Amino acid sequence: MSCTVRIPSPLRSYTAGASMVAAEGGSVAQVLASLERRFAGIRFRMIDEQSRIRPHIRLYVNTTEVTALSQAVATGDIVHVICALSGG
Amino acid sequence: MPLSPSELSRYHRHIALPELGKAGQERLKRARVLVIGAGGLGSPAALYLAAAGAGTIGLVDFDRVELSNLQRQVLFDGAALGRLKTEAARERLLALNPDISVAAHTLTLRADNVLDVLRGYDLVLDGTDRLATRYLVNDACVLLGKPLVSAAIHRFEGHAMTYLPGSGPCYRCLFPAAEEGVVASCAEAGVLGVLPGVLGTIQATEAVKILTGIGEPLVGRLLTYDALELRFVELPVTRRADCAVCGDHPSITAPRDSGEVCEPATASQVRRLAAAALHELLAVEETRAGLILVDVREPHEFATGHLDGARNIPLADLERRLGELAAQRTPVFLCRSGRRSLTACALALSRGIEAPAHLEGGLLAWAAEVDPQFEVAAG
Repeated sequence: MSCTVRIPSPLRSYTAGASMVAAEGGSVAQVLASLERRFAGIRFRMIDEQSRIRPHIRLYVNTTEVTALSQAVATGDIVHVICALSGG
Repeated sequence: MPLSPSELSRYHRHIALPELGKAGQERLKRARVLVIGAGGLGSPAALYLAAAGAGTIGLVDFDRVELSNLQRQVLFDGAALGRLKTEAARERLLALNPDISVAAHTLTLRADNVLDVLRGYDLVLDGTDRLATRYLVNDACVLLGKPLVSAAIHRFEGHAMTYLPGSGPCYRCLFPAAEEGVVASCAEAGVLGVLPGVLGTIQATEAVKILTGIGEPLVGRLLTYDALELRFVELPVTRRADCAVCGDHPSITAPRDSGEVCEPATASQVRRLAAAALHELLAVEETRAGLILVDVREPHEFATGHLDGARNIPLADLERRLGELAAQRTPVFLCRSGRRSLTACALALSRGIEAPAHLEGGLLAWAAEVDPQFEVAAG
């Protein structure tokens, strides 16, 4: 299944500046693994060693907050990655 | 608090709005709004609040106006360079609207003063550039029951959200924790000058709505804005029952300073190298061989220019890649300003690496003191 992932500004250095990238997978975990294969290192910026979403990151599938990486992703879904911003 | 004939004329276009009217304008006149950070966000927010007739505006900032501020901080002009932001901003706001009062709080908000500063206001706008201050202000607003309108920016992206105590989530529900340094600041990453104009005016809009009791506030909805795509996205945020400050069993019951780059105990164990001192160490083969230069900036910053022999491990990857550092060599962490490298030292110490070093003042200091040709990426 193919979806679109919206990349937050602080992580766009991994995607050569792209704000939207295509990814594959039927779950959030698979989508993140697909991202990692293309953009090495990006998953660790979102997910810690215990496979938990980092506290300054939020993930959504469309407008549903991701609380478990097993959450389903369907073809055409948009996965939003939101990262805390500190600038003022 | 009746409006004077001059005020009736000045605010005519507000009063002509049935939703707001004369009663709403009088509520604005009675209102006391605190703007935290007279920077990119605070500038447009404070200007519009002054123009709108918010009766008392407080400004919190400890900084002075620098030339690099003028690209986006529209409160200031060239004549304000070097002046305290709070004082220059106060004059600007009073010139715009002499019927209001402006209070300057020239200080750094800390756990021991935040409640006293916030207590005198009805609503708080957060436009700070420090994560630690964001959490401190959020916690104080929850504890005092004050509405908080928050925004943040980075490069071409911005966030805005309103927090009403007792109604919906707080900032800690949105992001339970965030470490300074892991989340890059505008100074390190750059920011489109007009971006805070969009977010700051959204904050002022929210403030006017809440103070006059009109419309639907941005509560429980995170608004994200991407200037490059000119796209707004709204995502739901719910209150967390386990939130440390507004949850069912809060662990934070008084303001506390947190998120400092380096705790004092840690700081004493870090070897702080001035640019000239590092230059001397690198010039001698024997001492150079005992060091490993670790540049913790983002890859695109590293690509612009880096010290010979430095390896790039972005701060966010450092925890996972600490094993790459040879135990017998002393790591010297490098970044743009010395902030991320100090955080890297703290992380290294916490993982058992003894006496890590960092370049005090970062590569900016290197360029200023050692190598004027060295190019430091804006981020």
